[in-house]
Amino acid sequence: MKTIVYIETVNGKPINGSLELLTPSSDLGDTIAVLIGADLAEAASQVAGYGTPVLLVDTPSPCPDSVLAVLEKLVKDKKPDAVLFSATQAGKDYAPRLAARLNTGCVTDATVLEADADNNLIFTRPAFGGTVLEQLSMGGLRPQIATIRSGSYAKPARAEAEVEAEAAVESVRIPVPENSVRAKAVKSVQEITETINLEGADVIVTGGRGMGNAENYEMVKELAALLGGVVGATRPAMEEGWISRAHQVGQSGKIVAPKLYIACGVSGSMQHISGIMGSKYIVAINKDEAASIFNVADVGIVGDVKEVMPVIIEEIRKRKEAF
Amino acid sequence: MDILVCVKQVPDDYVEVRLDPSTNTPATAAIEQVNNAFDTYAVELAVRYCETNGGTVTVVSIGPERSKNNLKNLLAVGAKKAFLFCDAIFENADENAVASYLSKAIKKCETENGAPYGLILCGKESTDEISGQVGAILAEKLDLGFVSSVIEVEPGDEGLIAKQETEEGYTLYEVSSPAVFTIAKPSYDPRYPTIKSKLAARKAEIPMFSAADADIAAEAGKVICLGYSEPPKRKAGIKIQDMPGAEAAVKAASIMADDKVL
Repeated sequence: MKTIVYIETVNGKPINGSLELLTPSSDLGDTIAVLIGADLAEAASQVAGYGTPVLLVDTPSPCPDSVLAVLEKLVKDKKPDAVLFSATQAGKDYAPRLAARLNTGCVTDATVLEADADNNLIFTRPAFGGTVLEQLSMGGLRPQIATIRSGSYAKPARAEAEVEAEAAVESVRIPVPENSVRAKAVKSVQEITETINLEGADVIVTGGRGMGNAENYEMVKELAALLGGVVGATRPAMEEGWISRAHQVGQSGKIVAPKLYIACGVSGSMQHISGIMGSKYIVAINKDEAASIFNVADVGIVGDVKEVMPVIIEEIRKRKEAF
Repeated sequence: MDILVCVKQVPDDYVEVRLDPSTNTPATAAIEQVNNAFDTYAVELAVRYCETNGGTVTVVSIGPERSKNNLKNLLAVGAKKAFLFCDAIFENADENAVASYLSKAIKKCETENGAPYGLILCGKESTDEISGQVGAILAEKLDLGFVSSVIEVEPGDEGLIAKQETEEGYTLYEVSSPAVFTIAKPSYDPRYPTIKSKLAARKAEIPMFSAADADIAAEAGKVICLGYSEPPKRKAGIKIQDMPGAEAAVKAASIMADDKVL
């Protein structure tokens, strides 16, 4: 079967969530990786380095409506069996709108992708806060459009070739009719400048409402720094203003799968727990012995974070120094 | 400018949904149905807009007759009109079909309202299916401008200015009216009803329409559900309790070291 993978870029670089899609798409058959935007030649050759043919659509000052217009034209021309997006904010906008324009179906947030003998895809996606998984299909409808959650697949290994790009990059221009841009971006503001890679982190230390205040939250940051990890947050901690929303873990934040996840003062709402289920080892500290987080923790400490955390930090520091 | 907010009835998301072992489908029948949280944010945003700039807010829902009570709750927090579309053909609709039904129901609402809507809002996603598609597809069916994850709306020189929440900040879009926006969580919470507004809403009559009333024909789904499963469960490990915090911390660190996770 033929699949178009839309490669999203941030600051001129392809995002991991998009590159990961080249793994299932190459298992399914032929892939065209599509990049749409301005100054993306470098990103395109980087994608080609994974051995996938790339179509680069040079589109000056791209905005959601113009990218969508290009995608619509491209998909009508290429007639793929499937179009895959990473389940980012942008991907989740493009996929259903594209499906509506092509009168086909769309599945969002899929985590597993399988094909039957007729190349009809079966998508598995979480629903109800992640406690239930649905198996969905579009039958014989084409193209089958979906967004896939980042972390569902591993990135393919890069081609070992000495040459810059193993596969070819084809550059095209697709004119965007002016009337297709209805929402005109007038201003974009970057409020959060830190780059938080929760999805790729080996260690995540998360603080919840039980941390009590911003001052205590510093212990979460200290422990994360000590372990070379990333700071996570629950929705309440973020809403209290102790930390920016870029750190949020769970259904409405990032779905994570670190080797070590330490939850401090986190009660464990199902939305949070379903976002951390992929973690290899979970440690939880909470003063409420009935907190749901203990149901999924490999090590649970029933105690006050203010008493437990300074000692844990000290103990880990001692052990690190002993090495 | 009048604003229409599309509201979905969902099982209360504080209750954990599991599969019913006898049917292998989500056991939601016993869970109280509530207005989807993001839709209530959309209502509050719409009411605030109209309080400042004029116009009224209508809420519309597709669902069973008992949804009327939830719609009354929205009349108690600032919505002026509520319409319910109730018909057997609406059951088990996928996102594309729901968006299609809504696109036609909206025409009926406009007739009932006596004026077109300058803005149509949906929550960015529902807390049950969490698919986030209906608002986007609705914009396409209505052939209108679309902005997702909006947290503020202001009147602009050429229509509306929508502030979209992004991962690293925000983007402002200018869109001509009418438009479809999906609403994320703004910086404020929805207001509470007063005793007076609650009593008035209780007495309100909510017009209910069938599919035929709005010239809506049944649509086959594009996405079919083949079945359900539950994610693999995690087992709880060691729980350290009934000892002073410091002692528990030393023990935990030692277990973690033994398990080689440090």
